Amino acid sequence: MVEVKLEVFRGADHEGKPHYEKFTLDLPETTPILTALLKVRTDIDPSLTMRYSCRQAICGSCAMKVNGKSRLVCSTLVGPEIKTYGKIRIDPPGNMPILRDLVTDFSPFWERYLKVDPYLLEDPEHPNPKGQVTKMSPEQVDQFKETPRCIACGACYSGCPSVGEDPEYLGPMALAKAYRFVVDPRDHAYHRRLLKLQDKGLWLCLRCSLCIEACPKEVRPADRITDLKRLANQEIGPKESGSRHSAMFVTNIEDGGLLNEFKLARQSLGFFGIFGQIGKGFAMMRHGKSFMAHPIIHDLDSLRAIYVELNKKEDLKHRERPAGKGVKGEAPT
Amino acid sequence: MKVAYFPGCVAQESGKELDMATRAVAKVLDLELVEFPNFSCCGSGFIDETNEALNVAINARNLAIAEKAGIQTIMTVCSTCQGMLTHAKKVLAKDKIIKKRTDAALGKIGMKYSGTATPKHMLQLVVEDLGGAAKLKPLVKRPLKGLKVGAFYGCHLIRPHEIMEFDDPEYPHSFEDVIRALGAEPVMYRGRVMCCGFPIQFVKPLSGEKLAGRQILDAKRNGADAMATSCPLCHLSLDTYQKESGKAVGASLDMPVFHFPQLLGLAFGMDAKELGLPRHLVDTKSALEKLGAVKVPA
Repeated sequence: MVEVKLEVFRGADHEGKPHYEKFTLDLPETTPILTALLKVRTDIDPSLTMRYSCRQAICGSCAMKVNGKSRLVCSTLVGPEIKTYGKIRIDPPGNMPILRDLVTDFSPFWERYLKVDPYLLEDPEHPNPKGQVTKMSPEQVDQFKETPRCIACGACYSGCPSVGEDPEYLGPMALAKAYRFVVDPRDHAYHRRLLKLQDKGLWLCLRCSLCIEACPKEVRPADRITDLKRLANQEIGPKESGSRHSAMFVTNIEDGGLLNEFKLARQSLGFFGIFGQIGKGFAMMRHGKSFMAHPIIHDLDSLRAIYVELNKKEDLKHRERPAGKGVKGEAPT
Repeated sequence: MKVAYFPGCVAQESGKELDMATRAVAKVLDLELVEFPNFSCCGSGFIDETNEALNVAINARNLAIAEKAGIQTIMTVCSTCQGMLTHAKKVLAKDKIIKKRTDAALGKIGMKYSGTATPKHMLQLVVEDLGGAAKLKPLVKRPLKGLKVGAFYGCHLIRPHEIMEFDDPEYPHSFEDVIRALGAEPVMYRGRVMCCGFPIQFVKPLSGEKLAGRQILDAKRNGADAMATSCPLCHLSLDTYQKESGKAVGASLDMPVFHFPQLLGLAFGMDAKELGLPRHLVDTKSALEKLGAVKVPA
């Protein structure tokens, strides 16, 4: 048994200011946090409001913040949390308006999801003949084996720092879903999808990997976003500052082996963009941070030889993408 | 201990003070830094977004350079370099297609990757290989008493956990252990494991600045006199762009931000100039004054 000190967020339409209410329970270490919260609701305060259903990480209803981390409370145990933090602070999921206590309005989450057309699309010029079956090879299925596991719990979205800062960013769940349809051979909108995705909605991912830690189903959203970025840069080409930054980084390193900070900033942001950053540049120079001069590595030829081997046009193709029909959006036969 | 020193791009360019401090404290820590001027950039995650195989191969080249010299540990001083080198190592261990292509590319330049060298961040070396707090304490000549320091890890050093296998991905303690050993008081705040916003400073500067501003505010609200980071990219966001970050979150910020080895150097009694502190955009004087009776040479 362990003494479980809970601090539970209470707020929104209650009387009084939002606050943390403290409860102390004696529970076995292997108790899920959800069970502890339900015990509070049954034995102490029936007004505690929260979402939950299956209690076994299938329904995806109980995403909350556990000591600041975005988690499903049904699959997070009290023991390790108490051992590490000494208490368990429960907050509602982040990046959404709070309705009451631990219940939030998921609308912004679903709005982003709908933006990526989360269903199979047909090519209007080559509609599928009626009754046609699209066969998939095991390799093709393997391309998106992780994403169908998503239970739309919103844990990744709730913990994403970029979603919180920028409404333009589509967020980890929506982008992982987008990837799933981009590589699905039954979908006939490969180019169209990537064209629509190739902007800041995709490129504002920070690669902080908090979504990988939050996801209870190992979808690894950050990895799927990187996959998507690669496909977008390959199929559409760089279109805005984010995709340009990534593409220019490749050639920047080829030039001298080490990053040429000034050149990259100029290439990514463009003339007008860099103009807006001029204040930063002058302040840096005043402190001796002369980023204009940059060293070049020895034996640069050996690095360039790797580029010759691996940076050909066909190398940019996604490695797991098997050559096959349907992959590029043409109607399968 | 003999290590291959991997300074990374920023410590050789705008963040030169990190390189200065690293060299200065290495002597005290008994670290022999073997230098390889042929080490290239780690790709910073950006090359991976365009060409996965190339990203792995350029890092395999870096790893192979150290291997050829018979050195087993590559010491990084940047969370991002550490992340990318480790990522490459993990991909090479499990992805046969990329391994084959990397081997072929390295073969053309007469190099071979065998996986015997391990990249380790300086923070990781201090806590795992150099004896941690117990070994640090006797080296401290000027305890950082009275200074409250908010550590800032930099995402790639701790996440994804199954790749990095270092500390806890969202509640680490290594940095705080070191801060305590140096005589300072660590400040716990959520922002220490969050993103500094650097990866999108060139995508949408305002959003990047907001992220940096939030983390600095979080440290400040939890009582930090100063921050210390293990990543020079975070340092650019937190120190170099602090003025803009403050504006982005509507706050006036004045938070000194140290690089990890600078904090060690201060405790080892080194002076501000030797550690490159005048190169910071946010004056570190307020933090140095907090050290109380200790007089710090300007």
